[in-house]
Amino acid sequence: MAKLSLRNISKRFGDTQVIHDFSADVDNGEFLVLLGASGSGKSTLLRIIAGLTDPTKGDIIFDNLRVNRQSPRERDIAFVFQSYALYPHLTVRENITFPLALDKFKAWHHIPGISAIARRIFGSSKEVAERVDSVSSMLELDEYSKRKPGGLSGGQRQRVALARALIRNPSMFLLDEPLSNLDAKLRAELRGEIVRLHKLTGKTFVYVTHDQVEAMTMATQIVILHNGIVQQHATPQEIYARPANTYVARFIGSPPMNLMSATVADGQPALGRLRLPAPEGLRLGTGPVTLGLRPEHLTVSADVDGPGLPGTVRRIEDLGADTLIGIQPDRTLDLKLWELNQDDLIWIRQTGQTRLMTGDPCTVALNAGMASYFDSDTGANLASAAEVSDAGMLSSHG
Amino acid sequence: MTLRTSISPPAVAPTQIQDAPSRHHMWQRISPYIYIGPAVIYLIIFMIIPVVQGIQLSFTKTPLVRPDGGTGVGLDNYTRLLSTPQFYNSLGATILYTAATVIFAVAIGAGAALLLNQAFKGRTIVRAIITLPWAVPTVATALIFSWIFNRSDGVLNEVVGVFGVGQQGWLVDPKYGMAAVVLTSVWKVMPLVMLVVLASLQSIPSELYEATRMDGAGALETFKAVTWPHIAPTVRVVTLLMTIWSIRRFEIIYLLTGGGPVDSTNTLVVNVYRQAFSNQELGRAAAIGALGLVLSLVVTVVYFMMERRNAAKEA
Amino acid sequence: MATQEAHPVTEHAPHKRRLKAPGKRNFSKPVRVLMLAALVLFSGFPLYWMLNTALSQDSELYGQAQGWWPHWERLADLGDVIGTVPIFKWLTNSMVIAGGTTLLSLIFAVLAGYALSRFKFYGKGAAGFLLFATQMLPEALLVVPIYALFASLGLLNGMGGLILANVAFTMPVSVWIIKGAIDAIPYEIEEAAAVDGCPRVTILSLVLTPLILPSIAAAAVINFFDGWNEFLLAKTFIAERDLWPASVGLASFIGQYLTSLNSVMAAALLFTLPALIFFLLVQRRIVSGLTAGSVKG
Repeated sequence: MAKLSLRNISKRFGDTQVIHDFSADVDNGEFLVLLGASGSGKSTLLRIIAGLTDPTKGDIIFDNLRVNRQSPRERDIAFVFQSYALYPHLTVRENITFPLALDKFKAWHHIPGISAIARRIFGSSKEVAERVDSVSSMLELDEYSKRKPGGLSGGQRQRVALARALIRNPSMFLLDEPLSNLDAKLRAELRGEIVRLHKLTGKTFVYVTHDQVEAMTMATQIVILHNGIVQQHATPQEIYARPANTYVARFIGSPPMNLMSATVADGQPALGRLRLPAPEGLRLGTGPVTLGLRPEHLTVSADVDGPGLPGTVRRIEDLGADTLIGIQPDRTLDLKLWELNQDDLIWIRQTGQTRLMTGDPCTVALNAGMASYFDSDTGANLASAAEVSDAGMLSSHG
Repeated sequence: MTLRTSISPPAVAPTQIQDAPSRHHMWQRISPYIYIGPAVIYLIIFMIIPVVQGIQLSFTKTPLVRPDGGTGVGLDNYTRLLSTPQFYNSLGATILYTAATVIFAVAIGAGAALLLNQAFKGRTIVRAIITLPWAVPTVATALIFSWIFNRSDGVLNEVVGVFGVGQQGWLVDPKYGMAAVVLTSVWKVMPLVMLVVLASLQSIPSELYEATRMDGAGALETFKAVTWPHIAPTVRVVTLLMTIWSIRRFEIIYLLTGGGPVDSTNTLVVNVYRQAFSNQELGRAAAIGALGLVLSLVVTVVYFMMERRNAAKEA
Repeated sequence: MATQEAHPVTEHAPHKRRLKAPGKRNFSKPVRVLMLAALVLFSGFPLYWMLNTALSQDSELYGQAQGWWPHWERLADLGDVIGTVPIFKWLTNSMVIAGGTTLLSLIFAVLAGYALSRFKFYGKGAAGFLLFATQMLPEALLVVPIYALFASLGLLNGMGGLILANVAFTMPVSVWIIKGAIDAIPYEIEEAAAVDGCPRVTILSLVLTPLILPSIAAAAVINFFDGWNEFLLAKTFIAERDLWPASVGLASFIGQYLTSLNSVMAAALLFTLPALIFFLLVQRRIVSGLTAGSVKG
């Protein structure tokens, strides 16, 4: 069993701090996704776990052993690179055999030519051949085994990289944006493949991506990083339902959560002149607050006199099963949309098609019970802020 | 399955944690030195120490037959050198040789590159012929040219004879010695200029030409607006390389004229060699060497600084 | 040459070469042809004359009686002609010296190039400067102190000592070539190897070396012919005629007309030919290697 613990990891490159005081525990068998935009420090963190980069500060602990000083190999991990990083001069089969063959590597194999012969003999031994065969058939690579990586497609190359990771049966798999060089269809296919491998091996997977779909569909836990600071560490469901702050709220979901400026008086929030019922289990202080609602928690109707926010339909995106409707709220409402809202529209998701047309006046009804409330200054979720800041995850850096 | 709330932060007592055993860390620190060390030590032994020793030697009077049995003479070698015209003559020959070789090699080489950058039938073979001299060993070059330049039987005299010019001692007449040496050197080094400039020319995107052509520019305007700005950095670099290499070129000159006729091609490097191995004065040779070293050091440092500045500009 | 045309492309601009814009024609056609003809004559004639001389009768060579066209029929007798000079002995010596220089130089260069390409370490700038500056040091200025050093170490008059001295001059360029080649290899491949359990030195020998083999080959050719052509150190260090490399041996005939010139030229041709052939094979890499070595300080 390998339990991964990261303690107070910081990393500086010169003057730039790419990771701020990161701590997390990951149990054996978890599928942890490190999610963030480029420059968030997620890849650096993965490389620190692997031992490819040294942290400036902090400890990497596997079970109860600090592995800071160990080489990647000594840590018994496998690493899958975005660029596949296959050995171009070796065939697919030789690539997969390579990690195993290294166990038997002797100093005199450095003599040119010897190591190739030694690897060939080793690779043809029954035990090794069977293991390589089973891994390559698991990843459907049998027919390419004699080809070199240069003759393979991107998807096939990444399968070879996965096979090379699997062959040594490591205690942990680290994957650095393995799918981002592939097209959409292959990506979906390999996503399923990786989840299958995770179930099959039962090992810890740490997976770096900037793609929220990958994160939501594969992860058992997600860490969202922004500028080297953890925004939230939770299950995918938790992150979607209760984003820890406005950054997470905007980062997850497509279209993202609608954020609007509300004001609270007597514990009751109001959007412009529209007063909403007080949230359950949360006491709001008087003053400004940011209200967040997922597109599916809003409904739109052509009834202009109904209860809700009056507005005008500006955009309709028919996705087949769903329709996304972008609505510009009435100016007279004096409603401030949160500055990052896409096109300054409130986005609504409804199942099926809509009869509304662009330019139609309409009314937006809110499912206020599903609303999230964020501090208008810090952006922290008011419901979970106490909890989150206790945990030291959203510290003063934010 | 229950929805987990935010996953709790670590809470293990730090005392339980031990360092995993590893030999990796120490190697990480010293391994670059293991890789670079042999080369650096080698160069220190066979380059730096000789340079230092050469400078030491220059303050002694040391006969060739007993290289380690010199007697200190202080600055004597230098004061004598700097007070004889022979040294200034040698310096002048170095500068003349370098300037002439570089100018002709770069001009002809760049011109050849421009010519060869155009498509024509047989370009490959023409390029091969023009390139070949660079691969000819220096000694073979000297053999060929000493035969071509031969006073009584050389083909050059046969050719100029057609124009009514009498037999000339190309390698023994002080009027022609330097010219003959420069001609041979240009023949040998020009191909490198040509190849480097040609590579640079071929990297000019053709869209640039198309754009200027659409602007209605003529051949000369195109050259000034597109071609030259693109190849200028390359030409500059290759000029500097040619300069450094010309200052240090020994074999062609030594083999063709041996520094003569009447010291007209007695460049610093040839002078060093003659002092050491003909006059058997290692101390005086080392003193000329040290002064020559200063000259090439100046050029090298200027070059290095220009490269730094260009690199900084690009960054 | 066929291979050259099949891959007529430099590292610089693979796709642009075939597109020839008419705007590139800087000269009118007759002028162009004339200038090209002059260049071909300038560059080609001396080599042609070497061949012509080698194929001439000894008696024709004096009194300007040498014909303009080579006597191809004498090609068959060339073996006998060459036999009058001990060129094969000398070429063997050249081979040993050049081979030793190449081997030793490449071992240093691969290690140092790797360190310069992949490590950050204290003193890297100084090491880089040392490797940069030493390739600018004139051989002829160092020959005196190296001679003195080798005399005291008893390394004179042997091929071993000559190899040691040659390496000092050829190695820096090789280091830069190898460094440039390693720079171009994605770092992830090495990291993958490290994760797979490769120690550093094994990464170098098992993963990187096969990948940079073309550059190693180019560096080898450059080194080999540096050693093959080298004259000054060999002339200074080796007094014994039987130990001479071909460069020193052939140079001993310059200005000395006791040995018939056609034999000397034939021997010189034999000495030149391998250099020409290898050069044509790897010409592009040599050029980019040499300039890379000197430009990237």
